[in-house]
Amino acid sequence: MIPKASQGIGHLVSRIAQDLMPKAADAYMATDLAYFTALLTMVGQDYDRAADVLISEHDLICTLLRDASVVLDDAGLKERIDAALDLKPASLRVPDLNARADVTVKLLIDVHAAVENAQAKGDAWAAPLNLKIWDYLERFAANRSYDVPF
Amino acid sequence: MDNREIELRDGLSRFLSARWRPDAAASDLTHIPGGASRETWRFKAHAGDETRGMIVRIDPATSLIDTDRRTEYRAIEAAFKAGLPAPEALFLEEACEWLGRPFSITAEVAGCQAAADAIPPQHRESIGRQKWSLLGRLATLDPLAMGLGDVMAATSRETCAMQQLDYWRGVIVDDELHPNPIAHAALRWLARRPPPPAQKLSLVHGDYRTGNFLYSPDGEIKAILDWEMAHMGDPLEDLAWSLDPLWCWNGPELAGTLLPHKEAVRFWEAASGLTVDPEAFRWWQVFAAVKGIGIWISSSEDFHSGASKAPILAMAGWLMTDRQQRILADYLSPHSRHRFVEVVK
Repeated sequence: MIPKASQGIGHLVSRIAQDLMPKAADAYMATDLAYFTALLTMVGQDYDRAADVLISEHDLICTLLRDASVVLDDAGLKERIDAALDLKPASLRVPDLNARADVTVKLLIDVHAAVENAQAKGDAWAAPLNLKIWDYLERFAANRSYDVPF
Repeated sequence: MDNREIELRDGLSRFLSARWRPDAAASDLTHIPGGASRETWRFKAHAGDETRGMIVRIDPATSLIDTDRRTEYRAIEAAFKAGLPAPEALFLEEACEWLGRPFSITAEVAGCQAAADAIPPQHRESIGRQKWSLLGRLATLDPLAMGLGDVMAATSRETCAMQQLDYWRGVIVDDELHPNPIAHAALRWLARRPPPPAQKLSLVHGDYRTGNFLYSPDGEIKAILDWEMAHMGDPLEDLAWSLDPLWCWNGPELAGTLLPHKEAVRFWEAASGLTVDPEAFRWWQVFAAVKGIGIWISSSEDFHSGASKAPILAMAGWLMTDRQQRILADYLSPHSRHRFVEVVK
């Protein structure tokens, strides 16, 4: 395997920025190369964190789903929650972790909508659960943020 | 000169000979970077002693935004006729026989640039004043009176907001590669709180922001570009989009890197004759971020499907989605410290 891949990608970015961009034939080529450096930087960051993000987020989603299952009055959603809590990824490869996340995040979207409806009806349990879901959503956004110099 | 350049030069020469002047020819083609929705080239058109700078925008196989070239062309033409700074629309060609794909040609606005980060500091305030005053003037234009009724979807003051929401909901649902829980929470937020009816229906540019106009070295806005999302709607839509924090990511205190938000709104109100209703504006502010996510998700889908390998699509799909969902979380989370909510009134 490539040792220290994210650092290696960083070196490729430096090479493009310092050696290739000054030699670009025209503005179009220079702009493309500038995009490549930014995109490679993001690929390096995702390479480093993707498995951690997807596994830690799954644990958080399962906690939210368990909390929701206790209070929600929707048999269909509860059934989907039970199935999701048992989901195992086919492997720890990122595409398999993503496939599991696609199922659980989609379910969380539906649960969030149900919680909002319950809050609008005045169910006392709904507001605290909504807050917890937003905790997760803020973390979801932060986990996917890229550090780029512009 | 590469093969694509030769192919375009020859196709344009044939087209101009047929549609402009029999002795016309094209030369000096330069591929313009950054055009995400069309393949854009600058060139010289010659006929007899006359030489004109022109811009050709060619439909791509796929693009950042699924748009209608006729609507774009007619909107540019109408804005130019109304006296707004816009490129002069010269030709719209929907047949594929000349360049292999449909295209439009406008006059070149020479000696200008569009890059937001290249605006000289001494001209930022003046360009900001012009930018929102021009947007206010745009808000005074009636698309039906301008003859755009046949290329723009019919709408009403009461329904335009929800029509736009339905459209972008469809884009997000159809194109998302992974479910986006923040975008869906925002879609529900918008659906539950319809804004009051628009004060009026006007010509909405659809992508009015710093970077989408040409300015001269002495700080004058010479042309508003990128009309591909133009439609009929609530003028607050353009105002909210122009003030989105995405366009001033590293300095949220200056809208579009130009002016404090309150000043931008003041210039817009003065030029439009309209007053910003904070409640309605709040809805359009959240909508702008949702529309942004729709565009970025859609571009990401095009890139990943291989429909286009343009790096700008990946850039939009990855980086802009990241930033836009942070903006939405900031707007809507009950825990939010509202870093991105600028007071506009």
